[in-house]
Amino acid sequence: MSDRSEADRLTQESAFMRLVRRPEAGAFIVMLVVVTAITFASDFKAFNALGLKNNIAIISQFGIIATGAAMLMIAGEFDLSIGSMIGFAGMSMAMMLKWGLPFGLGEATPLTAFILTMCMTLFIGWVIGTIVVRSGLSSFIVTLAFLFFLRGVTEVCFRLINQSTQISGLPDFKEESWVAWILGGEVFGWVYDLWFQLGGNINRRGEQWVDGFDSRFLWWLVIAFCAWFVLARTQKGNWIYATGDNKDSARANGVPVNKVKISLFMFTAFCATMFAACQVFDTNTADAAKGNLMELNAIAIAVVGGTLMTGGFGSVIGVAFGAVTFGLVANAVFYIPWLDGSFYRVFVGLVLLAAVFANERIRKRITGGI
Amino acid sequence: MAEPYLRVENLIKKFGPFMALNGVNLEVYPGEVHALLGDNGAGKSTLIKTLAGVHQPSSGQLYIEGKPVNFRSPRDASDAGIGTVYQDLAVNQLMSVTRNFFMGRELKGPLGTLRMAEMDKIAHDEMLKIGIDFSDPTQAVGTMSGGQRQTLAIARAIYFGAKVLILDEPTSALGQKQQMEVLKTIKRVRKRGDIAIIFITHNEIHSQLVADRYTFLALGQVIGAGKAGELSHDEIRRLMAGGAEMKDLEGELAAI
Repeated sequence: MSDRSEADRLTQESAFMRLVRRPEAGAFIVMLVVVTAITFASDFKAFNALGLKNNIAIISQFGIIATGAAMLMIAGEFDLSIGSMIGFAGMSMAMMLKWGLPFGLGEATPLTAFILTMCMTLFIGWVIGTIVVRSGLSSFIVTLAFLFFLRGVTEVCFRLINQSTQISGLPDFKEESWVAWILGGEVFGWVYDLWFQLGGNINRRGEQWVDGFDSRFLWWLVIAFCAWFVLARTQKGNWIYATGDNKDSARANGVPVNKVKISLFMFTAFCATMFAACQVFDTNTADAAKGNLMELNAIAIAVVGGTLMTGGFGSVIGVAFGAVTFGLVANAVFYIPWLDGSFYRVFVGLVLLAAVFANERIRKRITGGI
Repeated sequence: MAEPYLRVENLIKKFGPFMALNGVNLEVYPGEVHALLGDNGAGKSTLIKTLAGVHQPSSGQLYIEGKPVNFRSPRDASDAGIGTVYQDLAVNQLMSVTRNFFMGRELKGPLGTLRMAEMDKIAHDEMLKIGIDFSDPTQAVGTMSGGQRQTLAIARAIYFGAKVLILDEPTSALGQKQQMEVLKTIKRVRKRGDIAIIFITHNEIHSQLVADRYTFLALGQVIGAGKAGELSHDEIRRLMAGGAEMKDLEGELAAI
């Protein structure tokens, strides 16, 4: 009895058990089930050359904003303005490209339109973050205000300047501008070239069918990798976890809690702007309703990816699994003829509820609440 | 006679019209446990918060190794070697032992990356020094017992340069066995010889088990002080109760 210490009471778990108990485990299993189910239900059409491209496109969109939302949630805050920010950023870029830069600065190029829009959205992100940390109000209510405000501003600007809430028929900037190309062009063409050479990826006329993935795929990979690296491997990542877990003890140990939160509000604004930029330069259109409800999708994906609603815990890898799951289900209606499109929301509701219960179990196990 | 590491001279702290501390004197020597006792509202918390730089004194002076110092912020106090372990310990439950140990003061490599292996080793070794052998520094603090968390907070304060360790009621809210663990930890820190410990407690038995020196506070004033050998058990109990005689208390209780 006497040589037993308190440390002995914690059983060392096997490597397998540790893997199963990681926050990503649940999201990974759900992803596997969904991929398998959709593969067979769509008779493999969901993963033919075009199906893969289209699925990856929506997965990347979800992935980009969910990464931002998850980082912020780990630091203990929400951002409900992501969807409106997407609409605002898209409007801003398209309007500059159509009507020129503001204050009579002349014609806009894709580069100037993108940079100027990014500056504006980062500034708005900074304002939101500053209001939240200075006032101590719930980020839920502050960002809800910006959800309405930004959507309203987007519509007002469209009507006043453009006389219509959408812009279409912009010239295709991808031909002449590298900025437009890296945002709205194609990437990883070699995958499809290889696929064609191996005898697949052929259209009805016997030519190569698909040339490459949308470039937002690359942006998602870059953003997710950077977010993972920062969160898991750097001092800033430790600060993000500490801020979300218990901001008072983080502050007592010298963590600049307010700066962490403000920079993460700016990061969600950045993600929303990247989402919008890829969309605008890919389709050469903009619409006041773009990004509607995306903030809720982003939060749902973050939760399904294993992020705790209360902050302090989560993983970018789990969020990536969540994005794949949601993207596939959102697109499933195009590959499975008998499926009603609204089943997507049925699925989101059920999976979200299950995920919240699973996450709560994880939290209780860690904090000894069981 | 050795020089005290920290000396408090005639410290007065007012909050508006309220006199929280009325001329407190205190001397804290390295290698000693200084028990600070007193009832609720005696001014213990105000005193340690002033030492920790959270409050500024209304008048009076603090000396570190004989030199007068003024702490304008908790950062000043911790730079001067005053490490405070508060009751809530300032640990984050969901984070690992190592991540808590280095919270806010992480060891950085290129690009701000964490030197995780090195940090794991330091956290493990520092906690072993004062009595806990952790096989797994990646385990979440939430899985640790109250006594272990206390040890983590103490080891962290010492590693980051505390010369005066202020422990704010470290044994309250713990079970019997864990209270003993914390007292053992206090003894081990004392044995190093270079760290002064201010041990705040309500529990006279705990204070008598580890303390070298006592200061008793009541209503913001020092009502008694002395070395361990000089005070009798009854005297300590009398001062603990704010100077009331036990016999009087017994009489009052019997009268109800």
